[in-house]
Amino acid sequence: MTRLAVTLAGLSLKNPLIAASGTFGYGVEYEGILDLSTLGGLVSKGLYMEPRDGCPTPRIAETPSGLLNAIGLQGVGVRAFVRDVLPRLARYDTAVLVNVCGDTVDEYAEVTRVLDGAPGVAGVEINISCPNVKKGGMAFGGDPKMTHDVISAVRAATKLPVIPKLSPNVADITVFARAAEEAGADALSCINTLLGLAVDVETRRPKLAFGTGGLSGPAIRPVAVRMTWQASRAVKIPIIGIGGISSASDVLEFMIAGARAVQIGTANFVDPGVYDRVLTDLHAYLERHGIADINALVGTLQFPETAPAPKAAGGQG
Amino acid sequence: MGPWAALVSSLLMPANRDVALVHRHALGGAYVRLTFRHTEVAQQARAGQFVMIKAGTSAEPPLRRPFSILSTDPKEETFSLFLKAIGQGSRALFDMQPGDVAQCLGPLGRPFTPPADGREALLVAGGYGIAPFRIFSQELVRQGARAHVFYGGRTSDDLPMRDAFADLGVPVTLTTDDGSAGTPGRVTGPVETCLESIGGRAVLYACGPDAMLHAVAGIAERLGVPAQLSLDPWMGCGIGTCLGCVVKIQHEDEAKPKNRCACTEGPVFDFAEIVWKGEESSYARRRSMAVNP
Repeated sequence: MTRLAVTLAGLSLKNPLIAASGTFGYGVEYEGILDLSTLGGLVSKGLYMEPRDGCPTPRIAETPSGLLNAIGLQGVGVRAFVRDVLPRLARYDTAVLVNVCGDTVDEYAEVTRVLDGAPGVAGVEINISCPNVKKGGMAFGGDPKMTHDVISAVRAATKLPVIPKLSPNVADITVFARAAEEAGADALSCINTLLGLAVDVETRRPKLAFGTGGLSGPAIRPVAVRMTWQASRAVKIPIIGIGGISSASDVLEFMIAGARAVQIGTANFVDPGVYDRVLTDLHAYLERHGIADINALVGTLQFPETAPAPKAAGGQG
Repeated sequence: MGPWAALVSSLLMPANRDVALVHRHALGGAYVRLTFRHTEVAQQARAGQFVMIKAGTSAEPPLRRPFSILSTDPKEETFSLFLKAIGQGSRALFDMQPGDVAQCLGPLGRPFTPPADGREALLVAGGYGIAPFRIFSQELVRQGARAHVFYGGRTSDDLPMRDAFADLGVPVTLTTDDGSAGTPGRVTGPVETCLESIGGRAVLYACGPDAMLHAVAGIAERLGVPAQLSLDPWMGCGIGTCLGCVVKIQHEDEAKPKNRCACTEGPVFDFAEIVWKGEESSYARRRSMAVNP
C-alpha cells in the first residue's frame, strides 16, 4: 500500500484520499458502514466555539450531476467534538483534520486554540469559504486581506498544520492562495462549493430556504481541477484537490493537475463504499502504467504551450 | 447522554451492498413492488425503517433515495419496497428488471414502537405512505395487538395496496378524494370516527403527505391520543452526515427547538415533539409550560 502514501504539511497519509468536511459528519457516523482506517484522512464538519442550528429547510436540492446545499454549518461546537468524538476516532489509523469556522478573526483563533492541545488532531482546515452563512465564511475567503488576517491569527494560535479551504467564488484564486501562503498556511484545500441558485418554477421561489446554496458534485469538477492547477503553480505549499471526485480517474485528474492529495465529498452520500473502489482502481492504474509511487504523478500535466494559461476566471470572449 | 452518544446509539448496523432485483410486481399505473436480496435488511429491519437506494451506478440522478421497507423475508434474505414512480430516482427504480443491480444502504432510522398497553393500533396512510404498514401489521399481529389500516388516496387507482392486509386479518378502511372508492373525503375523517367509537384507547401511526400528518397530529392532541408520525423530508445520505433532512423537534424539557436529522433520530417521531410549520414550539413543550409555567 506504500505506493499510495503521500506526505503534505508535515502529515503522513497512507493514501491521498481524505473525506471532505460537511460530507462525512464527524466520522463516527460511518462506523460499522466502512472501516475508517481505510481513509488517508478525514475532515470534520465545520465547528465554531458554540453549537449551531444552521439554516432552515429545505437545505438540499439535487441538480444535474450535482448537489446544491445550504446547511449553514449546523454543528455541535468544538468542545463537544473534543470531548465526545475525538476519543472515538482515536481507535482508527487515519489523520483527523478539523474544519474550523468563526464569525470573527478571534473566533477562528479561539477554536484553533481549543484544538491545539487536543489529542488526536492532525491538523486544522480553516473554513473561509462557506457560502451559506451571513457572517464569516466566504466573506473572509473573498477578500485577500481578510484571508491573510484569519490565517495569520490561526497560525499564531497553533503549531498544527494549518490548511485554509479556498473559495472558488473569486475572480483569481491565485491571489488568495498566495495570501494564505504568506500568512503561514502549510497547505491549501481547493475548492469549497460554487455559489448557486435553483428555482422552483411552480412557486417562483428558490428551492432552498436560504435562497442561494453551494454547488458540489461531479458538475463542478472541471472548475475545481482548473483552480487546483492554477493554485499549485502560484504557491510552493501543497494543494489538496476537492470537487466532484468519485472515481480513481477523478483523483488522478487532480493529482496530475498539481494536487498532492484529494478530498472526496458528495460521493460519500452517493456511495459510502467509494474509498475501497477508488483505492483498488488507483492500484490498478499505477500497475498498468508501471508507476511505483503515486507522488510521481503530481503536477505532471502537459499543458499545451500554445494555449493561453488563463489567470482569471469568468473572463469574456 | 450527549447529542453524540444519542445519535450514534440510534444507529443500528446498516450495511451498504449492491443488491440484485429478485422480483418485480407491477401494481398498476406508476406503482410497483420490488424485491431485492440484502441479508442485513431482510434479517434486521423493523417497521418504519428505510433504505437509501439507487438503481444502477449511473451519474444521474446523483443521490440515493429513501424508501420505507414494505416487508422482509429473513429466510430468503430478501426485502420488498413499494413505490410510485414520481421523479428521476423513483422512475429509475420503477424501470428495473429482475437481475438489475441497485446500490442499497440499510436498514436505517428509528422504527415505530408498538402500543404497550393493549391499545389498538390505528395505521393512517396517505397514498404511498402505506409502505411501512404491511411489515408493521405483521409485527402487530405477531404480538397479538389489534390493528386497523386507514388508507386514503386521490382516486381508486391510488390504493394499489388495499388487498395487502387481508391475509393478516387486519381491516382496511378506504377513502378517496373523488369518492371513486371507499368513503369520499380525507382519510382523517374515518380515523376520528373510529377513535371516538373506541373511546380513544388507541395509538395513531401515520405516514403520508405533510398536510395529512399535521391533521393527524391535531386529532391526537385534541383527543389526547399518542401518535407516531413517519416524516419524509428530502434526504441526502440517510446516516446523519449531510444534515439535509433536519426537522424542528422540541422535547418538553427543551427551551428551544433543535434541528434533528429525520434519518437518524426519525423518520418516526412523537407528534407532540414536532414543531409544525408556522409554530414556535411543540405541543409537548406547550403542555409542559402550561403545567409548570
